[in-house]
Amino acid sequence: MSKTRVIAVLIAMVLVFTIFSGCAKEEKSVVIYQNKVEINEQLTAFAAVYEAETGVKVIVKTAGGDTPYAENLKAEFQSDRQPEIFVVEGMGGYNTWKSKLAPYEGDEWIDLTALEFVVDGKVYGFPVAVEAWGMAYNVELLEKAGVDPATLTSQDAYAAAFAKIDGMKDELGIDSAVAMAAGPDMAWVTGLHNFNGYLSAGLELGDTAILDKLNKGEADVDRLTEYADWVELLFMYADEAVLLTGNYDAQVGQFATQKSVFIHQGNWIDPWLMDYLTDETMFDMAYAPHASVKGEHDAIFIGAPSFYVLNNESENLDEARAFLNYMATNAAGHNYMVNEAKMIPAFTNVTLIPNSPLSANVVKWLAKGKAGSYTWLQNDMPDGFGMGTIAPVYEIYAKGDITKAEFIAQLVDKIEALK
Amino acid sequence: MNRYTKNKIVFWLFVAPALIAFIVVVIIPFFMGIYYSMTDWSAIAGEETTFIGLANYKEMFSDVAFRYSFLRTFLFTLFSVISVNIVSLMLALLVTRESKFRNIFRAGFFVPNLIGGLVLGYIWQFIFKSIVPSMGTVFNIPALENLLILAEPNLTLLGVIMAFTWQYAGYIMMIYVAALMNVPQDLVEASQIDGANFWNRLRNIIVPMIAPAFTVTTFLTLVNSFKQFDIIIALTSGGPATLYGDQVVNSTELLAVHIYNVAFTYNRMAEGQARAIIFFLVLSIVSLAQVYYNKKKEVEM
Repeated sequence: MSKTRVIAVLIAMVLVFTIFSGCAKEEKSVVIYQNKVEINEQLTAFAAVYEAETGVKVIVKTAGGDTPYAENLKAEFQSDRQPEIFVVEGMGGYNTWKSKLAPYEGDEWIDLTALEFVVDGKVYGFPVAVEAWGMAYNVELLEKAGVDPATLTSQDAYAAAFAKIDGMKDELGIDSAVAMAAGPDMAWVTGLHNFNGYLSAGLELGDTAILDKLNKGEADVDRLTEYADWVELLFMYADEAVLLTGNYDAQVGQFATQKSVFIHQGNWIDPWLMDYLTDETMFDMAYAPHASVKGEHDAIFIGAPSFYVLNNESENLDEARAFLNYMATNAAGHNYMVNEAKMIPAFTNVTLIPNSPLSANVVKWLAKGKAGSYTWLQNDMPDGFGMGTIAPVYEIYAKGDITKAEFIAQLVDKIEALK
Repeated sequence: MNRYTKNKIVFWLFVAPALIAFIVVVIIPFFMGIYYSMTDWSAIAGEETTFIGLANYKEMFSDVAFRYSFLRTFLFTLFSVISVNIVSLMLALLVTRESKFRNIFRAGFFVPNLIGGLVLGYIWQFIFKSIVPSMGTVFNIPALENLLILAEPNLTLLGVIMAFTWQYAGYIMMIYVAALMNVPQDLVEASQIDGANFWNRLRNIIVPMIAPAFTVTTFLTLVNSFKQFDIIIALTSGGPATLYGDQVVNSTELLAVHIYNVAFTYNRMAEGQARAIIFFLVLSIVSLAQVYYNKKKEVEM
C-alpha cells in the first residue's frame, strides 16, 4: 500500500465522521413535545391551521405514556434537540425541571383560568385540559336499585347504597356494585387517584396541608383511618377478578357492559366508552360526590393533569407563547380542544360543550366553581411514591393478605419513610 | 516504510472501525457508568452531579426490595434454565426422528421466538386471565374457574417461566437439533445392535456427545432469563404484591425490572446505575462459572 493510499483512506474516514457530526440548521419554529398520544393527530392538524394563519411553523412531537415520556424528554435535552414547549405534571415534574423553566408573564390566557400552574407567585404551566374523576354511576341502574344519587354525600350513604345494590345483583344483572381495580397494571388508580382522597377530599380547593405533611414524612393517622374505611368499602363491593388482576379494559369494560353500577374512574374513559358503545347501547352516566373521608361531600376531583411549560433556553419563546395564547383565546383553538381533541378546556371563555357522556357531566361540576372541586395533589408527591411504593400495599390489602389495621400501619410506615 | 510497519498500519486500519465502535459504545459508557454510580446524577441537563462515594451501594444492600428481587431472579433463572432445556431437548429429539412433517414441526416450534416479548406477554396475560377461567367454566371445574393466576405470587412466577419457556425453547431446540445431527450414526447403530434401549442410548451416547451444545444452551438460557424484562413488563408489570417479612414487595419484579423502576419510576438514576453494575458483576461471575463447569464435562472424540 502506498503512502497516498493510506492518506486517502484517512481522508475518507475523516469525511465519514464529518457527515455523522454535521447537522443542518433548522428554521425558526416552535417545537412542542407532548405526551398525549391520543391527541397527536388533532394537535398536528391544529398546528397546521395555526401555520396557515400566522406563518409560524409548529412542530408537534409526541411520546406516549408517562414514564417513557419522562425518559424521552431527558434524552431530548441531553441530545440538544430541546423543545420550546414540553409537559410537566405538577410539582414532581417542576422539581425535576425547574432549572429549565421560564415563567409566563402577562399572557392573556392567565386571566381566563383558575387552573394555571403557579410556584412562588410565578405562572409556569398552561393547563392542557381539565380532567376529573370520582364515582361515576350508571343513571338507569341506580334508579332501578332505588338509590337517589343526591343522597350519596357521605361514607355511610355509600355503605348503605352498596349493601342494597349488592343484594339486588341478579335483578340488576350486575357482577358487583363497583368496578374497581387494584392490580399491578392499575397502580395509578389506587396509588395516585384513590390515595388523593386522603390528600384532598373534604378540604378547600388548593389546601395542601395534608400533602405538605406527607412530603415532610408525617402521616395524619386519624384521617388515614377514616380513609381506610372508604378503601375497604370499595374493595368489599368490587368484583374479585377485576379488582385483583383486572387491567384498564377489564375495569372500564365492566362498567360499559353494565355489569357494575359504579366505576372509580375519570372522564378520560369517554373515548373508550364511545368507541365501544353504539347509539343504542349508550347509557346515561354522571358523577356522584366523592366521600373518601368522613363528613358531608359535594365535590369530585377536578384538575389539570398536565401543563405546557416553556424551556428557558429556547430562542423562540415569544412564538411559543403566542401559539398557546392563540389556542386559549381563538375560536379555532376552542374547536380543536373541545370538538377535535375531546378535552375539557380550562378556560372560562370557552362556550363549547363536549359531546362525550362523562365530560359533559364534568362541565356541570366545573360550573359549581370552587365548591364542586377537590384538588389534584397526587402528582405532587415524591417520584414513584404513589405508583411504586404504596400501590402494592393496596394490592395486598385487596387480596386480604393484611388487615385494615395493618393496611393503615403500612401506609403510615411508607409516609414516615419519606422523611 | 518497511514491510513490517506497513503490515502493522494495515492491521490497525482494518481493526480501527470495529475497535473505535467498541470503545465508543461499550468501554467508555461502561467506565462512565461506574463513575455515575458513585454520584447523585439525575440525568437532567444542567444539573450538577456531586461525587458521593459508595453511598448508592450501601443504600442498595440495605434495601429489602433489592434483596428480594435478587432472590426471585435466582429462583426464576434456576427454574427457567431447567425448564427451557428439558423442553427444548425433548422437542429436538422429536423433530430429529424420521417424520414426514419434521421440517414443519421445527419451524412451528421456532415461531414463538419470532414474536416479541411484549406481544407474547400480553398473549399469555390473555391466556391466564380469560382462557383458563373459561376452560374452568366449560369443564365445570369451579377451582379453575375462580383461579386468579396473576394474583398469586408463586403461580405468577411459574406463569412467567412458562411464557419464557414457550418463547425460548424453540430457539434452543435448534441448537440441540444441530448437535443431535452431528452424533455419529455408527455409534448409535452399534448400541442398537448391542441391545441398548432408548434411555441407555440417550444417557450413554447422545447426552455425552452433545455436551458442547449444553454449554452453549445453558449459557444462553441463563443469561437471558437473568436479564428477563419485556415478558414481565407485559405479563405482570412486576406484580402481584406480596409480603416479605413485614415489607410489601413485588413478587415478579426481577432485577432488570427492579433497576428500571429505581431509575425511571423513582427517578433515582445513579442508584439504578449502581444496581446495574452489581447486576453485571453477578451475571458475569455466574455465567463464567457455568461455562467453566460445563466445559469440563465435554468429551473429545
